[in-house]
Amino acid sequence: MIAGIDLGTTNSLIGVYESGFPTLLADSEGKRLIPSVVFYPETGTPVVGREGLRMQALHPERTVSSVKRLIGRRFGEEETNKLNGPKGNPVTLPVNGQNLTPEQVSAEILKRLKAVAEERLGTTVDRAVITVPAYFNDAQRAATRRAGELAGFVVERILSEPTAAALAYGLDRLQENARVAVYDLGGGTFDLSILRLDNGVFQVLSTHGDTRLGGDDLDEAIAGLLLREAGITTLTPEMKVRLKEAARASKELLSNEESTIVLLPFMEGSTSLEIPLTRTQIESACGPIIARTRAHCLRALEDAGLKSEELDQLILVGGSTRMPLVQRLAAEIFGKQPNLSQHPDEAVALGAVLQGAILEGSLQNVALLDVTPLSLGIETFGGLMNVIIPRNTTIPAKAGEMFTNAVAGQSGMKIIVLQGERELAGDNWTLGSFEIPFPPSPKGTARVGVQFSIDADGILQVLARDTPTGSEKIVEIQSAVEVSDEAVEAMLAGSLEHAFEDMDARVFTEARLKAEEMLPAVEVALEQLGSELLASEVLEIHGKSSEVQAALESKETVRLKQALAALDNATQTLATKLLEKAMG
Amino acid sequence: MSCPFALLGFPRRPLLSDEAIGSAYRKLAGESHPDQSDGDAERFRELSEAAAILRDSSLRLRMLSSSPGGSLLPLEAAQLFPQIATLLQQADNLIEKQATASNALAKAVLAAPLKNLRHDLESTLNQLQEWRTSLDRELIEIDLRWPEHDPNSMSLLADSYAYAGRWESQLKERKLTLDCF
Repeated sequence: MIAGIDLGTTNSLIGVYESGFPTLLADSEGKRLIPSVVFYPETGTPVVGREGLRMQALHPERTVSSVKRLIGRRFGEEETNKLNGPKGNPVTLPVNGQNLTPEQVSAEILKRLKAVAEERLGTTVDRAVITVPAYFNDAQRAATRRAGELAGFVVERILSEPTAAALAYGLDRLQENARVAVYDLGGGTFDLSILRLDNGVFQVLSTHGDTRLGGDDLDEAIAGLLLREAGITTLTPEMKVRLKEAARASKELLSNEESTIVLLPFMEGSTSLEIPLTRTQIESACGPIIARTRAHCLRALEDAGLKSEELDQLILVGGSTRMPLVQRLAAEIFGKQPNLSQHPDEAVALGAVLQGAILEGSLQNVALLDVTPLSLGIETFGGLMNVIIPRNTTIPAKAGEMFTNAVAGQSGMKIIVLQGERELAGDNWTLGSFEIPFPPSPKGTARVGVQFSIDADGILQVLARDTPTGSEKIVEIQSAVEVSDEAVEAMLAGSLEHAFEDMDARVFTEARLKAEEMLPAVEVALEQLGSELLASEVLEIHGKSSEVQAALESKETVRLKQALAALDNATQTLATKLLEKAMG
Repeated sequence: MSCPFALLGFPRRPLLSDEAIGSAYRKLAGESHPDQSDGDAERFRELSEAAAILRDSSLRLRMLSSSPGGSLLPLEAAQLFPQIATLLQQADNLIEKQATASNALAKAVLAAPLKNLRHDLESTLNQLQEWRTSLDRELIEIDLRWPEHDPNSMSLLADSYAYAGRWESQLKERKLTLDCF
């Protein structure tokens, strides 16, 4: 039996295919949604789910939530800015004096799901299909697979979430021929996939997304709003957890109501807070975040070669699509009413169960043709990315590349493998590197063929073939994500020592860059519009920009920041007028 | 590798609709997908590659033409190239500035040039669209006379499709970025 698992940012689910139907399994309290929260007590086994969630408000420092946003990531990436560690190394979380990897934390959630299924079914459950956001890269997929293995599963497939949701949607419509878009806004990630359903075949045409965009960000925005409304400036970690909980609760409530009063008992010492909040208020706080989904929708349509009017259905899944604002925006982007027939929390897990059923042969005449979300390439001489397998290629896929020696007697060549869509190699994600050996030979005569293959999980494998001998071997990619513990610790120590001296320099550099952008902008703006300002206004702007110039030369960080703020202030009217002129 | 036309069950002809290719591909690939009990990973991959070739007019024509192509630059491409190269450079420059602009004034200064850029992108994309329409007409002509054909004009048409497709996707990418600021 192969279980289907939706390992979510906020909640996780497990299900199996039983007597011809996909069924999601409930725990002893009758709940199918298991919160993806892990509490680490000082001694004993970690506590997962609702019990973990209850402990979070009491012991935020020993509780891990939303770990999916960290899986397969390295220190220094945007997502990890609240964690300290050497840039470029795999992320670890300090809990109870030990450094946990996101895989280890995810494995605790998976173990809990496994236990729920085994208890319900009375049998061992050790094979699983686990879903991931479609836009997860190689490292994130491989780390999720490792988490499954740590939890004692044989991971039969890593499946993209919107593809799974499409499968759940299409199961009752196998005879149909339709083009559908799946808009999946979950707790931490956003995906938009476009599929063609054709007689039981589910072909993904394109996929785009953002692995840092979801309900968590909406909760943060609402929490910020609550803070401003309440006039609170400092927060303890415990207060932060409670505020975020209140934000989430009010977001869910305001999906159905127009207004509410947020109650925070004993928030500041003995003071309890009562903050009135309207749907309009949270919509203006969340609007800019949700608007970021638009670009991905348009790109996916473009890649699929479709216009939005050619789509038959727009399917919404993921808990965050319960928000009326999300539904309105999705409808506006695609110019059609969304299809809300799928359970926003359960569709992905049901799809994972169905993929399990396909793999074990219980569900026949259904096939999923998925794609790789990101282009795979290698770094060329000039620091550019040479695409070898373009994004949206159907997987499993293979591509070969031939390498030769640039000078006589060259013993080998280092190949850096990249994933991403940017032209400059450095702007893409480095998967790792490997060395191909050349036999001793004159310039340009050594021939080594390298085969890159992306398996059905979306994970890369590299095979090198020495052409003259025909011998093949699997190349170990030295992944940048797997570095030894000692190396991590050594780098950690180094980075802490330098942290303080770096700080001031960095703040000054940021301010300097801003000044270098601002000063020419002021000149251009005055040239175009100076005649429409009062002489006194022009004089003031000139004064403030000379002060910026002077502060820049003085190299005093605080002075420069103040001067920039003053110049920003003095040029507000000018900026507005300029915008009006351009748009008019 | 086997002939992509044969793999997907089509006669070797210049004109083939996307819809027909997709439909044949889904049927055959669905049957041979490695997840199926009688699946065949190698055949599945060949089918995927064949469909990708046939869907691309330029690659499809090259499969039918004995001439290697690339020796002559199509006239329209030669005329369009300087305009497109300049436009792409301008676009990247402005997009970079807009993306890093950190204050209201710097953004306001960019508003007018961005508006012009959007206009230029749209009009150049229209030009490319017209060119593509004329290429499609030429393709129909060639298909009508098939199998009689002039290998040189075939390979010139294949190259033209390649230029038009590449430039279109480069310009559209910039336009999408602008639309999403």
